[in-house]
Amino acid sequence: MATTQTTRRQIPEWLESLVGQLGALLLALIIALAIGSVIIVLYDESPLDVYGAIVEYSFGSAEGFGYMLVAATPLIFSALATAVCFKGGMFNIGVEGQYIVAMAFAAAAALWFDFLPGPLLMWAAIVAAMIGGMAWASIPALLKVRTGAHEVVTTIMLNGVAASLVAWIIGGPLRYEETGGGYNVNLRTDPFADNAMIPDLGHLLGIRPSVKLTWLFPAAVLTAMVVWFIMRRMRLGYEARAVGSAPGSAQAGGISIGGVQIRLFLLSGLLAGLAGMQQLLGDQGFLPVGYEAGLGFIGIGVAFLGQNNPIGIIFAAMLWGVLARGETALQIETDVPREFVIILQGLLIMTVVITYQIAKRRLLTRQLRREAEVEQAPPPSEPTAGDEEVAA
Amino acid sequence: MLDDLGAAFAIALTYFTIIYLTGLGGLFSERSGIVNIGLEGMMIIGTVVGSAGTHYFTLPAPEGFGWGLPWGPIMGLLLGALAGALFASIHALATVTFRVDHIVSGVVINLVAVGLARFLSTVFFGQATQSDSGQPAMHTIDIPLLSSLPLGLGKAFQELSPMVIVAVLMVFPVTYSLYRTRWGLRLRSCGENPEATRSLGVRVAPLRYQAVLLSGALAGLSGAFLAIEVNLSWNEGQTQGLGFIALAALILSNWNPKRLMVAALIFGFAQAVPLRLMDAPVLRSIPPEFVRMTPYLVTIIVLAGFVGKVRPPAAAGKAYEGGTT
Repeated sequence: MATTQTTRRQIPEWLESLVGQLGALLLALIIALAIGSVIIVLYDESPLDVYGAIVEYSFGSAEGFGYMLVAATPLIFSALATAVCFKGGMFNIGVEGQYIVAMAFAAAAALWFDFLPGPLLMWAAIVAAMIGGMAWASIPALLKVRTGAHEVVTTIMLNGVAASLVAWIIGGPLRYEETGGGYNVNLRTDPFADNAMIPDLGHLLGIRPSVKLTWLFPAAVLTAMVVWFIMRRMRLGYEARAVGSAPGSAQAGGISIGGVQIRLFLLSGLLAGLAGMQQLLGDQGFLPVGYEAGLGFIGIGVAFLGQNNPIGIIFAAMLWGVLARGETALQIETDVPREFVIILQGLLIMTVVITYQIAKRRLLTRQLRREAEVEQAPPPSEPTAGDEEVAA
Repeated sequence: MLDDLGAAFAIALTYFTIIYLTGLGGLFSERSGIVNIGLEGMMIIGTVVGSAGTHYFTLPAPEGFGWGLPWGPIMGLLLGALAGALFASIHALATVTFRVDHIVSGVVINLVAVGLARFLSTVFFGQATQSDSGQPAMHTIDIPLLSSLPLGLGKAFQELSPMVIVAVLMVFPVTYSLYRTRWGLRLRSCGENPEATRSLGVRVAPLRYQAVLLSGALAGLSGAFLAIEVNLSWNEGQTQGLGFIALAALILSNWNPKRLMVAALIFGFAQAVPLRLMDAPVLRSIPPEFVRMTPYLVTIIVLAGFVGKVRPPAAAGKAYEGGTT
């Protein structure tokens, strides 16, 4: 009895939780793939072939790999934005609104500052996007801190406001002025100058420029690492965890809860602002109406999948990219409709959320039981037993 | 001018129906203590399944059979509600049984609904984003007396879908069941203090399951109404965030079914203005986009406590450790 107790206690807690999380992820993957297999079989296809085709389309060729990374890039940003707030015990559902407002800011900068030479214009647009995202995120943050309005509801409402606001901006101040060209003149902005665009990275790796793999992908990975550093090694991260896990103690420890919440929301908005850049400055070069790709909501799913860990998020976003790429694979290689991939994505998130929850519960109960055992354990027959009891 | 006002009011009644039904769904769920931001997703499932139900049950009825009722739309509405309830059972399973955070589960519900709707659409209609247009709807009705109002105002009460009447009358059974029955009392007490409810021998989990399923059924019915009676077909994205507007109306109503009617009517009117009243004197100078954002803005202002005060059910969204009891 005594030996088992000591060996169990020797497993460090972080390792136990990591194993638990990975186990939960694996279990979720297996369940999702198994349910997916049932659907595949209903379409008279072999699950192995179908899953094989999905993987093949991302890892079988440089081009496919590029497409996968392009799909992952914006999701890294939007998932990071969600995760940052999560660490502080808040739920930013407004990433969707924040990134579309940021896109409008970036488009305005790219069009109005077109006198800037060289890459300066691109940087101006990117900085404008960050400012736009932060500005939109500051509204729920201030409302929460000043009035106590819950951020979940205010961000949902602000998403609705943002969609209408940006539709108005595109139809009004940023309206497409050039005539001809075959476009519906009301539904997009002017095209940006070439130097507003993020330079292509793919041609260095032998990937066609039409894949649109830009320097934004390495920038996204770098951003994830910076966020990891901030949340793990800097004061804001420490304070965020304190506020997120025990606001009362945090306050007693001299942390200004409101201040931390506002700073986290601003950081979240900044990251959200970058989510639209792949589409705006990496691909299209203008802002159309109806650009909402749901990146904010998918980002929440990716953040769950990566357990709000910046490094986990990189891989989760890439997994999402593999699945997104799988749509093409299904359409070309199999009889299963491409929408099957979306079902698979949904199944995966759903199962992940539940299995993580179960894993978390198990860890917690095990921890509680261990504490109870320590309390209830009869004092070992050693001379120090009496001291321990006094200390307890 | 008054002609337009009448027509706008008719559109407002249509949107009122959508917002009110969905809002009632949210009401049951949140009054039982389960926050439901997945209403939009449940509506989406209702739209696609409702449309499919109409599609498959619209058959030429044999002579003297079916009592002359429009069975296609009726079956569509019922199946839409059923599908909404089935889909909501995922939310119930996650939040009640597995104690997943309500917001997390709601977000996932919305995320999954979009994909599931596309998938179901390929199964039902062979295409991912729409059904064949021009499906049959129910016979419209004119309201006696009101429909003959002078100055074009009567237009508001002509050619209404029967579902509008159903939605208006819904306030009676809902209010009765929530405030006059044992079930309603227990449901509400689950939302205020589940521990105390449990200590009185009432099982919390089954009541919450019922509330969330009911919530899904109402949202699904609302979605089916939108697809069958308003748009006459299924189109991807046709809910346009109305589920969130219903949520806004619910908050504004302070989780009260009678006040929800008022909120839903006002927000329904806000939806109708850009469609029908853009030539009216004052409204002419306001861009339609700004009219569309008013429901959201009003909700934020009220929530921030600048005007009025709202109080959600005390236990809504809180973890309840009782698990399956």
